[in-house]
Amino acid sequence: MATETTTGTAPDPSTEREVQLACHEVSYSYLDRFPALDRVSLTVRAGERVALLGANGCGKSTLLKLLDGLIFPASGEFTAFGHTVTEDTLEDEQFSQAFRSRVGFVFQNSDAQVFSPTVREEVAFGPLQLGHTPEQAETRVTETLTMLGIADLADRAPFQLSGGQKKRVAIAGVLATNPEVLLFDEPTAALDPRSQYWLTDLIEQLGAAGKTIVHATHDLDVLPRIADRCVVFSEEHRVIAEGTPAEVLADRDLLLSVNLIHARSPLPG
Amino acid sequence: MTQAAEESLRVPEWLLQGEPAMCPCGCVGKRKKGGYVEKTLNGGAGLLRQVMFSDDVAAQGGLLQRLDPRVKFVSVIVLLVAAGLARNIPTLLAVYAVTLGLAAASRLPIGFFVKRVWLFVPIFTGIVVLPATLSFVTHGHVVLTLWHWHGHPEGFTSQGLTSAGLVVSRVAVSISLVVLLTLTTPWVRLLAALRAVGVPRIFILIIGMAYRYIFLLLGAVTDMYEARKSRTIGATRHDRGARAFVGATGGALFGKAHQLSEEVHQAMTARGYRGDAKTLERFALTRFDVLAAVCCLALAAAILTGDHFLGH
Repeated sequence: MATETTTGTAPDPSTEREVQLACHEVSYSYLDRFPALDRVSLTVRAGERVALLGANGCGKSTLLKLLDGLIFPASGEFTAFGHTVTEDTLEDEQFSQAFRSRVGFVFQNSDAQVFSPTVREEVAFGPLQLGHTPEQAETRVTETLTMLGIADLADRAPFQLSGGQKKRVAIAGVLATNPEVLLFDEPTAALDPRSQYWLTDLIEQLGAAGKTIVHATHDLDVLPRIADRCVVFSEEHRVIAEGTPAEVLADRDLLLSVNLIHARSPLPG
Repeated sequence: MTQAAEESLRVPEWLLQGEPAMCPCGCVGKRKKGGYVEKTLNGGAGLLRQVMFSDDVAAQGGLLQRLDPRVKFVSVIVLLVAAGLARNIPTLLAVYAVTLGLAAASRLPIGFFVKRVWLFVPIFTGIVVLPATLSFVTHGHVVLTLWHWHGHPEGFTSQGLTSAGLVVSRVAVSISLVVLLTLTTPWVRLLAALRAVGVPRIFILIIGMAYRYIFLLLGAVTDMYEARKSRTIGATRHDRGARAFVGATGGALFGKAHQLSEEVHQAMTARGYRGDAKTLERFALTRFDVLAAVCCLALAAAILTGDHFLGH
């Protein structure tokens, strides 16, 4: 079993809810040499807000990519909505389209994600790929940009945007496909305080709207607002604890051992 | 940083000492203009300025800016063919005058427009045309003698100069037409127009992404050169070290581009891309566009007819 220790009791995950994403003992190594995940198991149920916590290089981002079907485990199994996800199954057009429309991923590097020549094209990319007509895509673009307060950026080129604006555009591009599960990789990293608060509020609202949210983060201060459950990674790429934000944040020894706080750091919150 | 590394951090003695920097007497050294580092940084900034300027011009409400990009694109092709078939300098000069008129009607700064066109003409034609003006390549009546060969005058011939004039004016007209198109059409609309006239979608996607990431990579180059500049003490030297730095910059940039391309592909896949890119294309032809297309065809016919009457 990957989990070596468990902090407290995991919150009641409302076991009646549908299991949307599940990893069982998955392992992954880059170039078959550099381990990133070591026998990691994780279950994400509908409507849950899960935070993946851990130091740099512990495997959080790798797990998110795996949950989005962008990379595949060397061993273990990943299932989404009850179906096993492999390179082969994603070759199936119908399955791929269903999976991609239900899971959205906001990358840490907005420059990689915002690849279209204009913001409008960028936000329309997902809906168009998933089979919406240009008119439907256009409507979604307008409404999503308005919702995120960036309608005035529609005809701008990405190189004319600030870091915070690029992050909003990246999120708009994902939200425009209206996924059930949203994966965020270090969503508040390198953002100014106003953008950080805006994004935290947005994640909170999306969670309240019933979206399933999985995010990798270092930001312990906002955990109680944007997570119901925390999954803690060790620097050895294993899940070593799970618990509610209150339980995890109260365990100073755990946070110290996984390099989430320093001996001289005050406890967050 | 690991815990062990953090605990073993010992600051070396020299790091705690000050380094001699500016002469305490306040004297200054020789001034020297910036070298390749400065030029690269200025070049990057210049490119960005130019792109911003082009975007501003394309967004103005001039004559050509109001036209449907598809009509503009096809019209330019038609006029390029007509100019290519013209065999008389006066015909081409007339077409050039029309392009200047269109530039003015489209609120393009005429000085900028002329400069942009004539900057390219020597590059595209100079090497080819210059030898052809000389009597040992194009025989004929020598109008300007440069030297004598066995008693015969050698130099520029009237036939050679006419041929050179024809090539130069043809190139100038062609470049003017293309510059008119690119300066009055936002890049994205131009790509969409290319798609609408049948250029494969994947080419359009690749061109669009290349355009988008040029700026990101330009930013990476600027960062590297600024980092170099901040650590350069004294004048920039054009020596082996400089060549090694330029080579290393190219290598690092290649690595970054490769890593970025992988991430971009993942970002595309994550949003449903399966090898067949779909783009927003929303065009509607107006009466004005139809009128412009008719005018273009009439102009092409006038060019060819006028040129025919002028003869060779």
